[in-house]
Amino acid sequence: MGMTSLLEIRGLHVGFKIFDGLLKVLAGVELAIGEGERVGLVGETGCGKTTTVKSVLRVLPIPPARLDGGEILYRAQDILKMKPREVRHLRRTELTAIFQDPLQALNPVFTVGTQLRDIVLDSLAAAGQRLTRKEITARCVQALAETGMPDPERIMSNYPIQLSGGMRQRVCIAEALIKSAKLLLADEPTTNLDVTIQDQILRKLDELVEEKGMSVLMITHSLGVVMDLTERVYIMYAGTIVEEGRTEELFARPLHPYTQGLMKSVPKLTGEGISKGIAGRIPNYLEPPSGCRFHPRCEHAMPICEEERPPLFSTGVNRRVACFLYQRS
Amino acid sequence: MADPILSVERLKKHFPTKLGLVKAVDGISLSVAAGETIGLVGESGSGKTTVAQCIVGIYPPTDGEIRFRGQPISRELRKRSKDLKREIRIVFQDPGSSLNPKRTISQILSVPLKVHRNARGRSRTAMIRNLLEMVELPPDEYLHKYPQSIGGGEKQMVAIARALATSPSFVVLDEPTSALDVSVQAKIINLLLELQTKLSLTYLFITHDLSLMRNVATRVAIMYLGKICEVAPTVEFFRNPLHPYTKMLLSSIPVVSEEEKALKPAKILSRGEIPSPVNVPPGCSFHLRCPMKMEICSEADPEMVEVEPDHLARCHLLSRRS
Amino acid sequence: MIAEHGVRIWAALARRRRGLAKGWYKYSRNSLSVLGLVVLVLIGLTAGLAPYIAPYPEHAAAYTNFREAGLPPSKDHLFGTDRVGRDVLSRVIFGYRFSLLLGIVVLSLAVPSGVVLGLLGGYYNGTWIEVLIMRITDVFLAVPPLVLAMSIAAMLTPNLFNAMIAISLSWWPWYCRLVYSVTASLRNQFFVREAELTGASRMHILFKEILPNCFGPIMTKVTLDMGIAILMGASLSFIGLGAQPPTPDLGTMLADGAKRLPSEWWSTIFPALAIVMVILAFNLVGDGLRDVFAVEEV
Repeated sequence: MGMTSLLEIRGLHVGFKIFDGLLKVLAGVELAIGEGERVGLVGETGCGKTTTVKSVLRVLPIPPARLDGGEILYRAQDILKMKPREVRHLRRTELTAIFQDPLQALNPVFTVGTQLRDIVLDSLAAAGQRLTRKEITARCVQALAETGMPDPERIMSNYPIQLSGGMRQRVCIAEALIKSAKLLLADEPTTNLDVTIQDQILRKLDELVEEKGMSVLMITHSLGVVMDLTERVYIMYAGTIVEEGRTEELFARPLHPYTQGLMKSVPKLTGEGISKGIAGRIPNYLEPPSGCRFHPRCEHAMPICEEERPPLFSTGVNRRVACFLYQRS
Repeated sequence: MADPILSVERLKKHFPTKLGLVKAVDGISLSVAAGETIGLVGESGSGKTTVAQCIVGIYPPTDGEIRFRGQPISRELRKRSKDLKREIRIVFQDPGSSLNPKRTISQILSVPLKVHRNARGRSRTAMIRNLLEMVELPPDEYLHKYPQSIGGGEKQMVAIARALATSPSFVVLDEPTSALDVSVQAKIINLLLELQTKLSLTYLFITHDLSLMRNVATRVAIMYLGKICEVAPTVEFFRNPLHPYTKMLLSSIPVVSEEEKALKPAKILSRGEIPSPVNVPPGCSFHLRCPMKMEICSEADPEMVEVEPDHLARCHLLSRRS
Repeated sequence: MIAEHGVRIWAALARRRRGLAKGWYKYSRNSLSVLGLVVLVLIGLTAGLAPYIAPYPEHAAAYTNFREAGLPPSKDHLFGTDRVGRDVLSRVIFGYRFSLLLGIVVLSLAVPSGVVLGLLGGYYNGTWIEVLIMRITDVFLAVPPLVLAMSIAAMLTPNLFNAMIAISLSWWPWYCRLVYSVTASLRNQFFVREAELTGASRMHILFKEILPNCFGPIMTKVTLDMGIAILMGASLSFIGLGAQPPTPDLGTMLADGAKRLPSEWWSTIFPALAIVMVILAFNLVGDGLRDVFAVEEV
């Protein structure tokens, strides 16, 4: 990778205990984000993207969730082994997140200004600094203005419900970026927005992250969004990383059969028609397929795929794929 | 266009609310030829879903007329004939709320069969099995399942089977795949296209996804704040988009390949918020966000003009030219 | 042919059993609810087998033995005896019979009528039908239920059956309200819209599409209400508008004993504890059921 990793997830296994048994959701997730790097994590509903983010933020409800192994290293320290107090400190200073639904992320009974000020006060307290009330307000207004919010002074005294979906997400972005964190976890931040609004917000986010030199983990199901915003991308299927590489390169030449199927399913402006999708469906996590979790749906499946979990085979610089088709004997 | 199966003339639907009159649909005209798939595309608040709901009869329109096979159809659902209910069907966006969580798939599919095909007992069971097979769900596995125990794509397959159970000729698809993953969407779209040829169906496909329409629709209509701003046959539409809003929409789509990037019009940066339909700007409703705004735009609402054969748009720039 | 039928019925049973097992799993995660259920089953058994369990079954009727009147708890009379010498324990055991009977009768009168009216009111939201039903409901809800039941009971001959009628009349509006609000929100769900667009009958929409979705909240409320209905029956009896002596009703016993407080405390405290226990048990079971019917998140 060349750079030192800011965040590194190694062999993460997470399960959920329910009535029917144990859902083995994450099965050895491997992921790294370098300092100042923007990384995409792409996968379909139920593939474990959100579970991964929640594990990093240590907000998984345990039980029913349970950690079955692996480590999440942030600057070489294992988040999973930290004390609650240390995790809280990390969340107040270094980690920040934007979620899909801003209405859930914002408190409906406080004004935008109150919520922003609280975050500033909290991060100041964590850093042991003090500012006057005026300076804090100024900082909040500036954070809102940076997101492209029209008329930020007025918005400060508005309640979330008074704002449109796009503006709410801008508030969330302001909240996420105001504490000058190092790593931004963005979980489907524009999925609920209209394309013209999505375009504005992604452009703004792009600028801000660049300016502040933050690292980003962009979690989404939209291949287009990842293409626009990230340098490197991981493709996730059924709780495993199946492929990684430089975004443009990976999208131009997907290697894993799952990624290939996914790319063919995306409707394109060139109008070449839509493939039949990928046969079958995402596996039942109670009894996930043995070996490669994709093998029951894979048209290239070989006997070995059923028996062994394919490791990530390196096929070039920054390019790895978990498929036996690329094993060099 | 010879012999439209369904035509909508100057359709208006206004909702009185506490904040004022919401002009959800404000005078749209559209005709759909038998066997085609017309894509009605718009962002939230554009009124595309309201159009669909007026056509199937959920809301009575405020003004305007809907004709089916040349005959005007009543506005209120209660006054519509049973046969009309059989002919015009709808598939809703969210299969989670369109399937009753307390009823099994077999019970869900039996309702239209009971009402419209008078099917009972064994013949009904056979029909339900056929319907499930038609949407590629193995009957033995699915008959007795409840909606919550199957995936989103499968739910939507059941909803499609339910819509087709009455052997309709016109199906409104209200964002049928927007809640689903692309690989599932691909499967459903292929199935819909297959069924369209097999059962000679006409589709009104409502969506916000232009890339999808490029691959599915024969014609595309773009809606913005209750009005249609551009209609054209798909190939022509993507080759030569005319309305500034259409161009903005096209250039905002995130794409995955260089070939696609080349197809997008010169980048028109999206700006501004979509105004609330309670407070539609005077003149052309798009003028606040339009990069080519002129003086007249804030004063007069432009008329629809036919710029090329079958390619219509509603913009002062174009009416000037012609 | 027969085998095919058999297989189908067996499969249906197996599905049902799995559903029940899953329901029990969710219910049993709350140990207090399990305790409530155990207590409730015990109370039910006690009431059902009263003639065989009660040490002096004859004391449940008109019986006097002034030689043993007002005895404190002892080995012979675990809960003591009342002012006419009847065994309090035996009367409490028989009292549960009347309490449970009252709860069951009241709710089986009040629930169906409230549910049907609520369904109609909710479905015809915005029409005169809703206005008619819901305003009548409001009138009933405006009077405190106990006061309403008291006034109705006072108009009728005071006995246990009329007390049940009076309580039922003050009870249905709560179910009407509950089902009304659930129905009014389900009404705009797409599955109801779909049934309308298909042309399904009103009966089908009301009873097959909407009603099954109201079962969860209704069942939860029924269990929570059983306790309160019993309490209300006891209250009516306490003020003389319900069961009449010598019926061993818990409320009547309470009223009787209260005259001799604090010296003969046992003839009041034990019936009172009995009431508290049955209400508590029903509440705990109600909480458990709410967990069962709650939508799964994982």
